[in-house]
Amino acid sequence: MTHLDPVAITIVIASFLIVTLIGFASARWRPAEDPMHLNEWGLGGRGFGTFVSWFLLGGDIYTAYTFIAVPALVYAAGAAGFYALSYTIMVFPIVFIFAPRLWSVSRVRGYVSPGEFVRGRHGSQGLGLAVALTGILATMPYIALQLVGIESVLTVLGVGSTSGNAFVRDLPLIIAFAVVAAYTYLAGLRAPALIAFVKDILIYLVVIVAILYIPGKLGGWGHIFNTSAVHLKKVNPATGKPYGNLVVMPAGEWAYATLALGSALALFVYPHATTGVFASKRRDVIRRNAAMLPAYSLVLGLIALFGYMARAVPAVNADVKAAGGNAQLSVPLLFAHMFPSWFAGIADSAFIIGALVPAAVMSIAAANLFTRTIYKELFKPYATPAQETRVARLASLLMKVGALGFAIELNKTFSINLQLLGGIWILQTFPAIVIGLYTRWFHRIALIVGWAVGMAYGTFEAYRTPGGGQAHFGSSTAPVFGHTTYIAIIALILNLAVAALLTVIFRRIGLQDGYDETRPADYVADPVAPPAAGAKPRTRTPAYSAAPVAPPSPPQHPQHRRY
Amino acid sequence: MAQHAPSGKSPATWGVVTVLLAVAIAGTLCVPIYARYMPKLGAFPFFYWFQLIWVPVAAILCWISYLLLRTKKPTRSGGPRHGGGGAWR
Repeated sequence: MTHLDPVAITIVIASFLIVTLIGFASARWRPAEDPMHLNEWGLGGRGFGTFVSWFLLGGDIYTAYTFIAVPALVYAAGAAGFYALSYTIMVFPIVFIFAPRLWSVSRVRGYVSPGEFVRGRHGSQGLGLAVALTGILATMPYIALQLVGIESVLTVLGVGSTSGNAFVRDLPLIIAFAVVAAYTYLAGLRAPALIAFVKDILIYLVVIVAILYIPGKLGGWGHIFNTSAVHLKKVNPATGKPYGNLVVMPAGEWAYATLALGSALALFVYPHATTGVFASKRRDVIRRNAAMLPAYSLVLGLIALFGYMARAVPAVNADVKAAGGNAQLSVPLLFAHMFPSWFAGIADSAFIIGALVPAAVMSIAAANLFTRTIYKELFKPYATPAQETRVARLASLLMKVGALGFAIELNKTFSINLQLLGGIWILQTFPAIVIGLYTRWFHRIALIVGWAVGMAYGTFEAYRTPGGGQAHFGSSTAPVFGHTTYIAIIALILNLAVAALLTVIFRRIGLQDGYDETRPADYVADPVAPPAAGAKPRTRTPAYSAAPVAPPSPPQHPQHRRY
Repeated sequence: MAQHAPSGKSPATWGVVTVLLAVAIAGTLCVPIYARYMPKLGAFPFFYWFQLIWVPVAAILCWISYLLLRTKKPTRSGGPRHGGGGAWR
């Protein structure tokens, strides 16, 4: 169904090489005095201002999910896929409220991952471990989603899809991923932060050109919406129901709202999102970006509309059908059919780089979690910063291998389910992290049990939900009291209910609670320069090495010397 | 969502910020508000143009909240912001 397009492939390879050069060169960007420190490798020196953070967070949050999975869902099922826009609208007010507190306490205490915060706040190694394991587990399908996105683009380019051998077929993907793994290993968060500039500029360029050019060529928006409306009314032979609707029907409103809310709450506790937050230089950077990042949400909304545009191109429909109804090819196919090869090549490059940047950040975030919460807590309490960094580098490689496994194992028809499955898991850490930012009312053991119940229920419910032609893990919504609801939300409510009930019981019987190593002032602190060495947390190595990116700092901040 | 007043801002300011952000979230969380075809804007059903317009609306609400909670004037030059003993906000 696709033929090799030499022009487009040349452009994709060229842009990949440029990005690779940037990735390796980024190790010298804002060079650190001591690069072998997790604050450097894992958080880019914790010195990104509004401008860099905007690109990094944007490059990090808007992934192959945005470019491939969401329009694929819109292409196939119509309005239901637009929950993603609703979700990205909601997420920034939520970030605005919670993220500054998490940033402050992590800055003061030198935390590089949410797992450490939870351990310190609730005085519970077990809870920190639970959060770290969940973060790693939930990040894998999210990285896998990036791989599926890259695969879709490569398929449309005609690369590697002809062989029956899985290894040969996926070889371009494996090579690309190995290269990314190499520069991530070397440069840490600096690599995706710098590449994010290329990614975002390409994406904005491609989306603006496409949104101005394609509708005119297809006979206007009226025609685009009408074509989809006609398709969506047709009955899907697999389910016996229409494919979808152009506007969410009353029966679908609850699913739409819970998917959007659940995804928005989940995003903030995803390790890669918190990594982007921790890497900011100042508290204000986060709030300012919460108001400026929605520019990307607008782009996401427009990209979602690509799904309808693709439906209005008969050649795209024919090719999707020929590929066994793989809707994820719809956007790459749209560009292949609507644009000359060279511009299709630019668009494909944008989508591929757009998937590589978040994949890199996610693997770094998971590596930070593993290093500080698992390796250091359980195996090597007195690890030096250099040892930590070495472990984190290796962990980032392992994460990528694990994600490959996920990408091969799970249903790819709707890769969006990969992200939604991750969302179910990660949302179960919400009580320990976000509620923990405000109160320690919940007992630490109650939080652990609540988390376990939420995880077990969410996984079981997702497992037994058929869909997309497979018996298990087919969908992320399940009916509750007659309303189709995102499983993550039900699991979270269950989680909270169990935790609250047990907290009351544990307090009644006087079960001892953990020691809170944070102080109320930590949550509103805004240290402009890195904290002085005196502010190191209990039994930890100094939170900071000298921070080379900050302007020459005043000799000290007496406010931090509270210990 | 319970908000404390950590930055020395008055409870009234926090109240306003809470309302602004709640409006930003509610506008897209309450699906029945916009799950309809009419009125159309050009060829766009209400469902689509409302959500696309709500993106900048929510962004502006966040920006106003940011301005309300900000305690220091931003330095235009991007020069060093430490100094002055104002390490806390």
